[in-house]
Amino acid sequence: MAELVGGHGEGAGHHQVTGIDSRKLGMWVFLSSEFLFFGALINNYLLFKGRDFGPGALYPVELYDIPFTSISSFVLLMSSLTMVLAHSALARGDQYQTRTWLFATAFLGVVFVSGQFFEFGEFILHGLKLNINPAASAFYLLTGFHGFHVIIGVLMLMVLGFKSMRTGGLSEAEGLNVELVGLYWHFVDIIWIVIFVLVYLIQ
Amino acid sequence: MAIDVADERVEQAETTLYRRPRLTYGFWSWITTADHKKIGMMYGYTAFFFFIAGGIEALLLRIQLAGPEGAFLSAAEYNGLFTTHAVTMIFLFVMPISAAFFNYLLPLMIGARDVAFPRMNAVSFWIFLFGGIFIYSSLIFGTSPPPVGGNLPGGAIEPSLLGSIPNSGWFIYAPNSGATYSPGTSIDYAVLGLQILGVASLISAVNFIVTILNMRAKGMRLLRMPVFVWMTLVVALLLLFSLPIIAIALFMLTFDRLFGTLFFVAEAGGDPILWQHLFWLFGHPEVYILILPAMGIVSETLPVFSKKPLFGYPAVVFAGAAIAFLGFGVWAHHMFSSGIPTVAQAAFGLSTMTIAIPTGIKIFNWLGTVWGGRVRLNTPMLFSLGFVALFVIGGLSGVTHAVVPSDWQQTDTYYIVAHFHYVLFGGAIFGLFAGIYYWFPKVTGRMLGEGMGKTHFWLMFIGMNLTFGPMHWLGLQGMVRRTWVYPEEAGLGAGNFVVTVGAFVIALGVLVFMINWVYSKRRGVPAPNDPWDARTLEWTMPSPTPEYNFAVEPTVTSLDDFWYQKYGEDEEGRAVRKPEADQVVDDLIYRNGHPDQEIHLPAPSYFPFFVGLGIMVIAYGIMYHTRPFGIPLLVTGAFLTVGALIAWGSEPLEEVHHDDHHDGPEDGPEAAETEPAMTDGAAG
Amino acid sequence: MAEGAQHHHPQPRQYVQIALVLAVLTAAEVALFYLEDGVEEIGQTLTVPALLILSALKFYLVVAMFMHLRFEKPLLSRFFTSGAVLAGALYLITLATLGAVILF
Repeated sequence: MAELVGGHGEGAGHHQVTGIDSRKLGMWVFLSSEFLFFGALINNYLLFKGRDFGPGALYPVELYDIPFTSISSFVLLMSSLTMVLAHSALARGDQYQTRTWLFATAFLGVVFVSGQFFEFGEFILHGLKLNINPAASAFYLLTGFHGFHVIIGVLMLMVLGFKSMRTGGLSEAEGLNVELVGLYWHFVDIIWIVIFVLVYLIQ
Repeated sequence: MAIDVADERVEQAETTLYRRPRLTYGFWSWITTADHKKIGMMYGYTAFFFFIAGGIEALLLRIQLAGPEGAFLSAAEYNGLFTTHAVTMIFLFVMPISAAFFNYLLPLMIGARDVAFPRMNAVSFWIFLFGGIFIYSSLIFGTSPPPVGGNLPGGAIEPSLLGSIPNSGWFIYAPNSGATYSPGTSIDYAVLGLQILGVASLISAVNFIVTILNMRAKGMRLLRMPVFVWMTLVVALLLLFSLPIIAIALFMLTFDRLFGTLFFVAEAGGDPILWQHLFWLFGHPEVYILILPAMGIVSETLPVFSKKPLFGYPAVVFAGAAIAFLGFGVWAHHMFSSGIPTVAQAAFGLSTMTIAIPTGIKIFNWLGTVWGGRVRLNTPMLFSLGFVALFVIGGLSGVTHAVVPSDWQQTDTYYIVAHFHYVLFGGAIFGLFAGIYYWFPKVTGRMLGEGMGKTHFWLMFIGMNLTFGPMHWLGLQGMVRRTWVYPEEAGLGAGNFVVTVGAFVIALGVLVFMINWVYSKRRGVPAPNDPWDARTLEWTMPSPTPEYNFAVEPTVTSLDDFWYQKYGEDEEGRAVRKPEADQVVDDLIYRNGHPDQEIHLPAPSYFPFFVGLGIMVIAYGIMYHTRPFGIPLLVTGAFLTVGALIAWGSEPLEEVHHDDHHDGPEDGPEAAETEPAMTDGAAG
Repeated sequence: MAEGAQHHHPQPRQYVQIALVLAVLTAAEVALFYLEDGVEEIGQTLTVPALLILSALKFYLVVAMFMHLRFEKPLLSRFFTSGAVLAGALYLITLATLGAVILF
């Protein structure tokens, strides 16, 4: 993702005036723009969930299974813990634990996404299709894009996990990648914290 | 497009999977380059190509409108042409040519060897290029059949080449852009194409922000950066925060059109006004994205050609930032006639008026810069002064839109067309041409011809006022936008004829510019290293810029450091050139042209190109997902993109070494960094 | 910016404690949700602000501790807060203008 050009030997800090690694700064800058991305999706859902689509219209809220969603939210929340443990293990130089926690995080992510697939399937069985009304459209687009972000995160975690299985494990430079993927992962988690409350709990 | 680079050596790490490309000249060196200067030049050439395309589209429109009841184009062709003209000029010309300036100049102005992420810089360019190709491929593949139930009277569409391009207006308003009223694929080309261009811009925005914050030369504090760099930062921030919004809007429209969602379908409870909100939440910051680079450029040229420092530097910088900040809070002034609540109309009217304050501050500072200066009327200066004059006119007509009742009268008339062409043509394009004339010597080592340059300026200046001036009156007399004919009785014929003549005068001016460019690039007067007696760091290097930028990383002790090395003040506070100035310049340029140690440059890479290509193939796959070849295309594109990203991630991080002296072997290999195969994919 | 130093990151033990707090907060959220359904007197006027506060707390804990924002240079918080605040403000105004939220 980034080379630090010209950083030849002396004064490596010279090329990082802020004292923050360029790649890390880039990740934070990117994540701050993601608020506008998910904000628009949440905006759509909040706009349409209260609209009247005529008699007999089916709304996502009628099908919510709060206990189920609570558990999958909890799973995603705990994946943030395993992620931070992976990062922390790498900081101690513990390659084995790093790998374990990376895969654990990816696993929890897969569980979350599977839950989402299950939920979508249930909803569709009950007739809540993507094109039944704008509230349904907005619900699927919001949760779908969030799920897509989780899948991207899982893929990045897997890549890091497999890289750590080589002899010698993750190098110091790759350690930064663990931190970057971690930032992304936590961000996807906090977006879900917001979605869980605004979309599921506040009806 | 061969480039003459001196002796370059690429050292190959021994135990790696891939070899990184090593060519430094010829076709593949351009495909694989990660050099910000080459990338900047590719942005510039591509953008200029699209400028010509968009210009031809404009001329065709003007031929149609030259007289009442024109019969040159059909309604369908007219719709296609005005849409594509706008999309081209905004997304494929002004934005990328600004990106060309950012790319080429930003590292030089802050004293860096390259941007923070050179390969991501390359990927931005390739994604942009393939996005542009994607949009224009609608000429061949696009379809615009009439909606079910038929067209409105006069709108009959017979199959034609120009009738198949996107025809919804650049704003792609719902519900007209929905599947019901716009069947066929031409709108999909616009929607998916803009999505691709957005990805490119978002990546480069992150890159520029990190570069500016992290890669400044020693001593270059934020308030010592040239105004152009400041404006780059502001534009990058605007892009960063506005692109995700349009990304979602475009996704929603894509889903509406291709997968049957109902976001903008009013009959099913959807909300077309939501599209307007999301579009203008992005669209208004976008207009500042278009104009701020030009403002940055003239903030560099006006002081140089007035032989004075910029008047009120901090005020100019803060005004630029304030314009950007306020620019996020005015979007609904594009929607006054859409029935938004009265309170909202008042609030957005007021917020729009406040933008005039920072804009006025800038204009007064520019005037203050020129005031009392020893003004040299070279071509860059003419364009800069033209910019200030025309932008003031456009800015004033802009304020009239902030008055809601007045805006209701002006909405969808040629008055609006006149306004935004004064700011975008008279403003942005004049500023950008000032920049082209100003930095041409730095890029090519030759001067652009002054005689032809001045001819170009006057043709453009006169042509521009002939074209867009009468539009004010035409609009207030009731000439409506986006209609392909007007009746004889309306009495608009004479004004429209003048407008059309003006458009051809502009075209003549651009032709003169092209001849000048081609001639000067080969036979132009060789440029001195500091031809304009300038203030910023890029002029402390030989022209054309060496591959490695600065041989010695510069240190800066004040704003306009280079200027103060050359100039002092007399007792009345006037700038006086120091006697030793020539020697200072020669020394600096000698030092910067003669590296005494090896310089590490970002190595070229094949993969950015393939990421861009893959993304375009994915877009075709999505668009044609119901056809038999659609899903295979989608899968191919996805494999190409992901594969290129993974290969990118495991590419050895070797660097091109540039050394003239080559004293001895290098001490040890660089720390082998491997990069994440990271797809920031969906976002934006 | 407590201590400011990069190397004062929490230890695994503290991370687990934070996760426990997060779990308790989530449980509280779900409990509030059912409380609102079960006890009519409480109603949405009380539960909605409570839910928002609880989720804001969770949000803060993850960002500050797991993403280490508390221990980073202020520049990063500035970017992050700008994005969050801008998104909140813009979409709130949009919803108000569309009549989905009553602001004015």
